[in-house]
Amino acid sequence: MEIAYYPGCSLKQSSALYDLQSRRIFSELGVALKEIEDWNCCGATSAGKVDDFLAMAMPARNIGIAEAAGYQEIVIPCSACYSRTLVAQQRLADDARLKAEVNTGFAKKMNGGIKVSSILEVLIARIEAGALKPKLRRKFRRLKPVCYYGCMQTRFPYTVPVPDDVENPQGMETVLGALGVKAIDWNHKTFCCGASAAVNDPETSLNLMGRIMTEAIDRGANCFVATCPMCQLNLDAHQDAFCRRIGIEERLPVFFITEVIGAAMGISPESLQVDRHFIDGTTLLKELDGDER
Amino acid sequence: MTGPGLEFTPESAKPFLQEVMERSGQKLTACYQCRRCAAGCTVGDETGFFTPNILIRNVILGDRETALSNPLVWKCVSCYTCGTRCPNDIQTARITETLKKMAKEAHIDPLQPKVAAFHDSFLESGLRWGRVNEMELMGVYECRNILRDARDGNYDAIIDELKGQARLGMAMFKLKRMHTGFMMAKGRKEIKALYKKAKQRRQAPAGMNP
Repeated sequence: MEIAYYPGCSLKQSSALYDLQSRRIFSELGVALKEIEDWNCCGATSAGKVDDFLAMAMPARNIGIAEAAGYQEIVIPCSACYSRTLVAQQRLADDARLKAEVNTGFAKKMNGGIKVSSILEVLIARIEAGALKPKLRRKFRRLKPVCYYGCMQTRFPYTVPVPDDVENPQGMETVLGALGVKAIDWNHKTFCCGASAAVNDPETSLNLMGRIMTEAIDRGANCFVATCPMCQLNLDAHQDAFCRRIGIEERLPVFFITEVIGAAMGISPESLQVDRHFIDGTTLLKELDGDER
Repeated sequence: MTGPGLEFTPESAKPFLQEVMERSGQKLTACYQCRRCAAGCTVGDETGFFTPNILIRNVILGDRETALSNPLVWKCVSCYTCGTRCPNDIQTARITETLKKMAKEAHIDPLQPKVAAFHDSFLESGLRWGRVNEMELMGVYECRNILRDARDGNYDAIIDELKGQARLGMAMFKLKRMHTGFMMAKGRKEIKALYKKAKQRRQAPAGMNP
C-alpha cells in the first residue's frame, strides 16, 4: 500500500529523526510513504499571521501535487503542516473563487478530493487492519506515558472534519493501548506549549511548558508521548530551563509516538535515532527492552 | 469594578468593525460576553487579564487604538482554544491574527517586536526558497532583532539574545538536530508569481476587481 507523504520543513531538519522513524514504522506496517515531488513550505502558523492569501496558496500547491500523482490519501506527521493543509483544503472547497484564483498559478491544479490524514489516523487504520500485532516483539511494563497532543492536532481555526475528540482526544491512547501500554489520563494533553513563542517570547512559552510539566509529574508520568515535532522539540530542548524556573528536579523524555511503536517492534532506540533527544530517552526504552512478549 | 467610560460613536465604529469581521471571517457581533474564551485562554496569565472577550468588545466599540495594540494581540499563541469553546463560533485567534496584519499596515510598532519579526522572517524564508531553512530563518530573524535593539540602544539585549541562541544552537549541533544542507523547492516561483498577481488585484481601485 502506498500513500502520499508530506514531511514538511521540520522533518527534513531539526526533526529529521521523526522522518526516519515514520518511514521505518510505516514500512513495518506495510505502508510505503511516497514523498510528494517538489513540495513547498505550508506557511505554518506564521502565514495566518502575516498573509491570508499565502496561508491558503502554499498548502494548496502541495495538495495539487499529491492529487496529480494519483494518490487518494496524504499523511502529514507534523501537526502544523497537517492543520494548515486540512484548513486550506476545506476553505478552498467552500470558496470556489479563491480556489480558481490559486489554481491559475499552479502547474498541478488542486481539486481537493484527497484525504488529508494525521499520522494517528493512518496508524489507527493500520492497527485496525491487524498490521501491528504480528510485528510486536517487546512488551512494556514500566512505561507510564502522558499523551501530549498540543494544539494543531486537535483544534483548527476553521470548521474542518476532525477525526478525534477536540477536548479529550484518544488517538494516541488508542495506539499505545494496541502496544499494551496504558497512558495516564491528564488535563494538559491539549494545552499549548507556546510553539514558536519558545523563540520569540520565551517568558510566555516557559511558563506554559512549566504548567504542562508540573501536571505530568503530579500524575506520576515517566515520559511524554507526542506527535508534533514543534511540541517535541520545545518540551525536550527547553526542559532544563522551565524545570529550573519552577524547581522540578525530574526530567522526562519526550518520545515521538513512532519511537514507542518502534521499541515495541524490537527496533533499537539507536537505529531510530532516539539518542538525538536532549533529555535521554534511550535508557528508559532500553530498561523496558528485556520484556519479551 | 467598572473600567473607564468608553465613548461610542456608531459612524466611526462601524467601518473598523466591518473590516475586522471581513478579514478575519469572524462574526464579532455574535459575542454576548459569556467569557468562555477568557476562562480557557492559554495566555490569560500573560496578558494582564486582557482576555479575548475584551478584545472583541474593543473592536465592536470602535476603539481602534486599543484593538491594534494590546497584550493579547501580541501574546496570543494561536492555540485556538477560545474559538473551539465559543458557543457562537467566534475564533478570536483569527481576530488577533487579523489585527497583527492591520497593525503592521498602520505602521504601529508591535508590543512584542520579536513575535512580529519571527513570523515575518518565517514566511519570507518559506517564500524565498520554497522551504524554510531553519538556520537561515534564525539568522534573518536575529538580524532583525539586532538592528532593532541597536537602533534603540539595547546592547545588553543583543548580547543576551545571541548568548541564548548560541547555547541552544551548540546543543542542537551536538545532538545532530541542526541541519546544514540547504533546501529549495522549484515551485516557489509558482507561488511568488501567484502572490504578486493577488497583491496587484487587491491594490487595484474599487470596481476594477474582476
